[in-house]
Amino acid sequence: MDKEYKSHYYSHVVRIAFFLVIGGVLAVVARGLFLPDTMGQYGHYRGSNIEEQKNVEVRNHTNESCYECHRPIRLIHKAGVHQTVSCEFCHGPYADHIQDGKYVEKLPVKRDMEIKALCLRCHNKVIRARPEDSIKMVAMPQHLEEKKVQTDHNCNQCHMVHDPLLWIKAAREMMGLPMKEDKK
Amino acid sequence: MIDIKKEIQKDRRAFIKNVLGGTIAGSLLLVIPAGAALDSKLPEQLPGMRGDDSVFTEKKFVFIVDVTACIGCGSCCVADKNEYNVPDGNYRTWVERYIIDDHDEVFVDSPNGGLDGYTEPRTDIPFPVRDTFFVPKLCNMCEKPSCVQVCPVGATYKTEDGFILIDKDRCVGCGYCIQACPYSVRYLNPLTRTADKCTWCYHRVRKGLLPACVNVCPVHARKFGDLNDKTSEVYRLLREPHVISVLKPGMGNKPALHYLGLRREVV
Repeated sequence: MDKEYKSHYYSHVVRIAFFLVIGGVLAVVARGLFLPDTMGQYGHYRGSNIEEQKNVEVRNHTNESCYECHRPIRLIHKAGVHQTVSCEFCHGPYADHIQDGKYVEKLPVKRDMEIKALCLRCHNKVIRARPEDSIKMVAMPQHLEEKKVQTDHNCNQCHMVHDPLLWIKAAREMMGLPMKEDKK
Repeated sequence: MIDIKKEIQKDRRAFIKNVLGGTIAGSLLLVIPAGAALDSKLPEQLPGMRGDDSVFTEKKFVFIVDVTACIGCGSCCVADKNEYNVPDGNYRTWVERYIIDDHDEVFVDSPNGGLDGYTEPRTDIPFPVRDTFFVPKLCNMCEKPSCVQVCPVGATYKTEDGFILIDKDRCVGCGYCIQACPYSVRYLNPLTRTADKCTWCYHRVRKGLLPACVNVCPVHARKFGDLNDKTSEVYRLLREPHVISVLKPGMGNKPALHYLGLRREVV
């Protein structure tokens, strides 16, 4: 009885099986073609990317790299209270100046009011969020009035930017004035 | 002089070969970069990293930001922008200014991400200021990173030594990770059209250098080191009693970025 209702045509099954196999083969081929070689080497990512990440160019060096050539500044900068300030903060990144050990370009020199702006980035008393006692803060133009100089004076007229107390100390010594207690 | 003439007469071809070879070799010396020699000149700020060619290091790096020390000068932001040529308007690291008045109202601002420093005081605070401080922000390098979990193409991944990195070639710029990050440290780089973020200067660390922002911080508010090294400053800070915490601990991401002296108002 059952036999009568059973179809003898299998072509549709064969067709489906055929397309499934083709699809599977295509998927495997596509995977091989499009998936990067090192994908899944260490996890679900391209393993060779770690090597690429390691080889990103180092553009900022350390102060020591600058001192290699700029010897006179080294003596001043390393001895003064600004020794923790990075050269590259004010002058720009090392890589713009030196590439592969060779001179490329002069870094821009800060002048006039640019210098004042740089000083006040750290030393502006008006910004109260800074922790007290950490560094010396000044309010402008009160500081200038206090020191009895004209209010259009620039910071670097009294302070050597690489060691802000260098000239002050020298002047005090010359005048025989007592040295102020160093704050840290 | 006599020798040279003799040499030429003996074998003209060999002589020309030698002279030419010497000239070419000499000129090549001028052209070939002295990159390797330069690298060795750099100080090794992280001991044992230079010469470590293994894929993953055995170290466990942590980053500690001392909120009580930060003066908001923006050195870190400048160094970061220079290191990666970050496009304007995007920030891999930035410094926020928090102001809390005596009505417990919190005001936060970060003009240009702190890149130009803080030049003006805020004048729009209605009540007397109770507390004010700076909070530098950067990638938290989570132990359970949400960004890695959502990436559909495996472009963002976590290395075995704890760095979350982005494969620029693999990223399709869908922006899922940017939405998933609870700390909003990711941005879509308009030049490469891929996701980008702070890497704790992976390339510098692997060469034995401190991250660019840590290296330039004038007040040592940013600290970076190996937690497996029992003599390191970060180990001492995390072991000894301090007010130390992470951002959004409730998110369960377990960041490796810790804050020293963090106030509860900071998000």
